[in-house]
Amino acid sequence: MMLWLGFSLISLVILNGALNVVKSDDLVHTVFWLALTLLGTAALFVHLDAEFLAAVQVLLYTGGVVTLMLFGVMLTRRVSEVRIVHGTANKVRAIASALAVFGAIVLAVVRDKQTAHAVATDLADTEALGIMVFQDMVLPFELLSLLLLAAMVGAIALARKVDPS
Amino acid sequence: MSFDNPWIHGLVMGLILANVALVITGYSIWFERKFAGRMQNRPGPSVVGPWGLLQPLADALKLLQKEDIVPRSADRALFNLAPPLTVFCALSALAVVPVGPGVIVADLHIGILFALAMGSLTVFPVWMAGWASNTKYALLGAMRSAAQSISYEIPLLLSATVPIILADSFRITDIVNAQLGGKWFALWPPGPGIAAFALFFLCSLAEANRIPFDIPEAESELVSGVSTEYTGMKWGLFQLAEYLHTFIISLVATTLFLGGWDGPGDNDGIIWMAIKSLTLFAGIFWIRWSFMRYRADQLMAICWKFFLPLGLVLVMLTALWVHLI
Repeated sequence: MMLWLGFSLISLVILNGALNVVKSDDLVHTVFWLALTLLGTAALFVHLDAEFLAAVQVLLYTGGVVTLMLFGVMLTRRVSEVRIVHGTANKVRAIASALAVFGAIVLAVVRDKQTAHAVATDLADTEALGIMVFQDMVLPFELLSLLLLAAMVGAIALARKVDPS
Repeated sequence: MSFDNPWIHGLVMGLILANVALVITGYSIWFERKFAGRMQNRPGPSVVGPWGLLQPLADALKLLQKEDIVPRSADRALFNLAPPLTVFCALSALAVVPVGPGVIVADLHIGILFALAMGSLTVFPVWMAGWASNTKYALLGAMRSAAQSISYEIPLLLSATVPIILADSFRITDIVNAQLGGKWFALWPPGPGIAAFALFFLCSLAEANRIPFDIPEAESELVSGVSTEYTGMKWGLFQLAEYLHTFIISLVATTLFLGGWDGPGDNDGIIWMAIKSLTLFAGIFWIRWSFMRYRADQLMAICWKFFLPLGLVLVMLTALWVHLI
């Protein structure tokens, strides 16, 4: 009962936040709604006893969102006057693709009950998580960091002023 | 319903600790003004009450009576939401800090991560206030603050990793217990310990926007940064949050590196925690009245070119130490 109640409340917050990310016509408001949505996700992790994931979610995603915000304000001129226009032409296609993604996720979870369950119990334990990431899956983990490194090098290469000589 | 119930325990403990922290924070402002006064060869507050002891109360009353002004072009909702949110973020980190054996609101097994996450969340209300004020000084202050926070967060996390590795736990109670009997992490791995402590302390100061890292509110350049447009108690809440944040930093640094409530011999107890953390707290004031602030670019250079590599080296040295011993 408590589990259901908590889940429903947190879901309401997340859904409301996510909806407002799309609906709000002020760029900075959008960012704050996004932050609320991500915090809600962290709350969901806490609710499922995955406290480590929740803390990491807050630490990493808040940093990410703040960076996003800084870039948004620095790169966009006169942000306060920019009103985001929400197109209506793509409504049908948007709903269709959203439903398709939702369906795929539901299908994956329902079909693969066992894996979903196993992963969930493993994630609750910080030690198990550490062993999984840094021993059992250390190669994919390192490959992932290589991907991030490539992205960073690319960003620096793009941002650097080209020397005329 | 007994005290063992986590809800009751958390509520009662939370109320007590939050109020104690708020009173200490209020009086720390009196202490700072006295301290700064003595350093500059003047008496400091001395008119209201004996030794000026009633000054914080008088200040609070004055702030409550002031007119509440919201600029016409401000984003009203965000402008009003920001001040209480800063206090919320600063205060919630207190929940996972053990003040004495068993004196803790919630003994989370990821305690230290929670405290750091809450500290990093402070950047949101600061940015919110800077943006909602809709003036250049507030916005510049907020941008500086955001850039500073997300940069210093990385060496801060790295330096906090050192006691985590040494104690083999994220739970702050476990970290303190591992140091009982004088094996303080600031002293024990000789070298890396004290360096990690210094790094943690300095990066925390930067996160709390304290001098010498207070460029987000540099008075000589930005009027008063994020809180420029705020009046009365809303401005007071920003000040409160800053001092509260500083106090909680002293508490966390004491538990991570100075053995928490560990005293000489078998004399462990809250009193030692109080002595150590309040000494650190006073040290922060000492730094504030002794040093100038850095320039914005110097601040970033120190973080990325010195603190970050130092943090990485310290983590590796500590891991090596634990592996070999």
